[in-house]
Amino acid sequence: MKEQEGYVDCPEQQMILYVEKDDGQYGPIQTGSFITKHYLEDWALKRNNLIKSLKDQLNRNEISPIKFFMVLEDLTLSELVSRSGIPSRRVKKHLTPAGYSSITKEQLDRYSTVFNVDVERLQRCDPEPVDVTDERNL
Amino acid sequence: MTSITTFQHKMGAHCESGTVTALLNHGGLNITEPMLFGISSGLFFGYFHKHKSFTFPTFIVRSRPGDMRKNSQKRLGVRYKTFSFRDPVKGTAVLDSLLEKQIPVASQVDFFYLDYVPTWERVHINVHFMVIFGKEGDEYIISDSYFPKPVKLPAESLKRGRFAGGNMSPKGFLFYPVSIDTDIDLKEPILKGIRKTCFNMLSLPVPFIGIKGIRMFARKVTDWPKFARDTEHLSHEIMKINILLEDQGTGGAGFRFMYASFLQQAAPVIQKPDLLELSEEMMLIGDKWREISLFAARIGKNRDLGSDRLQELSEQIMDRADAEEQFFQKLKRTIR
Repeated sequence: MKEQEGYVDCPEQQMILYVEKDDGQYGPIQTGSFITKHYLEDWALKRNNLIKSLKDQLNRNEISPIKFFMVLEDLTLSELVSRSGIPSRRVKKHLTPAGYSSITKEQLDRYSTVFNVDVERLQRCDPEPVDVTDERNL
Repeated sequence: MTSITTFQHKMGAHCESGTVTALLNHGGLNITEPMLFGISSGLFFGYFHKHKSFTFPTFIVRSRPGDMRKNSQKRLGVRYKTFSFRDPVKGTAVLDSLLEKQIPVASQVDFFYLDYVPTWERVHINVHFMVIFGKEGDEYIISDSYFPKPVKLPAESLKRGRFAGGNMSPKGFLFYPVSIDTDIDLKEPILKGIRKTCFNMLSLPVPFIGIKGIRMFARKVTDWPKFARDTEHLSHEIMKINILLEDQGTGGAGFRFMYASFLQQAAPVIQKPDLLELSEEMMLIGDKWREISLFAARIGKNRDLGSDRLQELSEQIMDRADAEEQFFQKLKRTIR
């Protein structure tokens, strides 16, 4: 890849790309993320649609808040078991509305740590909003 | 307040090679990130159609996390001090005591808990590496290769990241070099690194690794719709091909551009001019991987995910397998 082709104007997400410089040497340039620049809004749209779909399932009493966050954060059952330290049998129960009704405060705390969301938001199925104008790494 | 003022933050293409390179540079070894990456046989390919830790088929383009440190230890004669912990309190105390002693230390964390990362980038990856080189009050000062400047991270977030559970959980892992041969001749480490990469790509007897893995990826990508909840989910996963090849710290084209840079730097050291031609060839291979990335992003965005488009994607990937098979056979012959 030639150096001139490597530059992407995306201050929100900077990265290092290896390119062929004008003198024929290969080396790093600091540039922006192509996918963040061009497709971030599409990603946010899909995430919002997923949240809406999961909330519909919640309202129909098909899933629990634990299942909501597990799907949203792209975790498998095995990962959730390992990360929460809660036995698989219990986690499986907590994924259903009936099983969730018997969840303990300590178990909720463990799930909230895994999902990095406070317990109130976990119970309300209210994930942190994703701000596509986030400029934390400028 | 503790801050190691002699430590120089520098962006890197990849978190592990960037972190190890930064620590070796700090210790006096003048080595570039591509050289470290090549010597430690970082280039790899693995395809996972089903895995208990992944909700969807995926692939990797680098060696097993931790191998760059381990291989740099074997091939460059660096000795590292490493720590793992069960107890977060002890893990924090050891980290703080190292910083008090002015030792910058590498830490393995789950990327998901890093508050300085924009929310859209945060995913559960237990194998992110960074250098911690200071502490101010209740915040650690971090050199993360993916960021242009040093960043600060609250102690509680760092603790969550270091002690996350799950596959390849960090267990508070820390490391730093205690002995570095700053005058080492790189010739033999380069040859060993290339030989191992050729072996991994051509000869590992595992059907989902190396060239065989790229071919499996090509064959199986047409099955991906079976795993998707709906079109948007499939679009998301197809667009992740671009992220895995370009955005997740690869230096572009799934590390192929950085490997081309390594071969160019290695040629005069091992006195093999043929490596210069091979570095050009690897750059061209990378260009085609980048075309795959852009194609995946485009069809994902347009929701143009019919079987004909996925077949087209499959053929492009298969073409890369053929090109890389020829490339690594030539590379193997060149350094024989």
